[in-house]
Amino acid sequence: MNTQNKCNMHEPLMAYLYDEATSEERLRVETHLADCVACKQELQAFERVRGMLQQWQLDDVPVLRVVTGNRGGRSLLAVLKELLSVTPLWAKALGAVAMAMLVLAVLGTDVSVGRDGVSFHADLLRRDRTGNSSTVTGPSNTASPERTSIEQMRSDVKMLVNQLIADSERQQREELKTQLVSLQSQLESMHSADLAKIATRIQEQRARLKTIEQDIDRREGLDLTDILFSDASKPAERSTSRGGD
Amino acid sequence: MERLGGLSSDGWRESDLELSDSQIIERTLGGEPDAFNLLVRRWERQIYGLTLRLLGRDEEAKDATQETFLSAYRNLSKFRGEAKFSSWIYRIALNICNTKLRSRSKFTISLDEQREVSGFEPEADLDDLGTSIQREQVTRHVRRALQGLPFEMRQVIIMKEYEGLKFSEIADVLGIPISTVKTRMYTGLSELRKRLGHLREAV
Repeated sequence: MNTQNKCNMHEPLMAYLYDEATSEERLRVETHLADCVACKQELQAFERVRGMLQQWQLDDVPVLRVVTGNRGGRSLLAVLKELLSVTPLWAKALGAVAMAMLVLAVLGTDVSVGRDGVSFHADLLRRDRTGNSSTVTGPSNTASPERTSIEQMRSDVKMLVNQLIADSERQQREELKTQLVSLQSQLESMHSADLAKIATRIQEQRARLKTIEQDIDRREGLDLTDILFSDASKPAERSTSRGGD
Repeated sequence: MERLGGLSSDGWRESDLELSDSQIIERTLGGEPDAFNLLVRRWERQIYGLTLRLLGRDEEAKDATQETFLSAYRNLSKFRGEAKFSSWIYRIALNICNTKLRSRSKFTISLDEQREVSGFEPEADLDDLGTSIQREQVTRHVRRALQGLPFEMRQVIIMKEYEGLKFSEIADVLGIPISTVKTRMYTGLSELRKRLGHLREAV
């Protein structure tokens, strides 16, 4: 069986087999096949293999639907809230930074880390520089509008970023404090509940002990009374009942 | 932008079905995530066929198909318009199948697969290829023979034979030269010729 294709015709043969041969390739293959029995047989065998491969056809295809969006489910906000409630503090801090970056991205701002630390480049400023300043700075800025507006925007963005970071930090601190307080109160309530339970159990045990003691006393007493005092009520009943038997 | 009305099971409009893949992607990314289901509907048969023939197991193929579309949906923003969506999603499917095959334990190869790899197969009687039973028999042999091929040959043969891709398209999906695709195709067919050689009446 010729599997090596010593004639080095495998590429044009494949193109020919799958009807992708150029006219030159087709001519070359057909000329070769007229002389080479091995290649002719190989081509015929490949055609039969192809015929067999084509026997494998699919009957059913599963119906797929990609569930997108939040149709029928919880809202994105709800999911986000839940995520935040179970997210550790470090992740929240990371989220705050990401959020700040997102806000900056929306503003068209690049954030880059260089030698001087983190720096921000507002796209709004660049756009401003290119001309159409009226959309951002407003028509009132007539005297050297570009520089003034750039400085103004820069300080605005800086303020916004600082404020965002400060806000998120403050919020995190508050959240942490609230969480700690609630945790403490939970612990306390759990503690007091446990104490109360223990106290109740102790009381119950004491009561039970008392009952047992009394029972023992009574039994001892009963026997003595039985023997010594005939006018006691219970022994009398007992004797009566015995008499009844 | 015109909204895609009611994209439930049969809610597509004729005009929606005529949208190009890139137009659907645009709509999906433009705030109509349900539009993606048009792409699913358009390509699920091909992707399922590809994964089933590559993996040889129905359940695994269904999982792979689902994973392919989910991955495509999640990474849709990374899709670059200059490439064809079909090439892109085929590539995702092939990667998922490859991962699944690699994660398979070598001990889970069935006896049939082992027998096929070792080349032992009882000789089949195929006097009448027209009957459905014998067709099934051929299909079974083809499945096994394909499973016995190395992944790189199998994927080329499947994309060519069943998906009808051109050599240049396969080269695009795999990121390899066309000549390599043809060589793999040739080697794969030669292997299949050997493996299916016992079906004398057919080969």
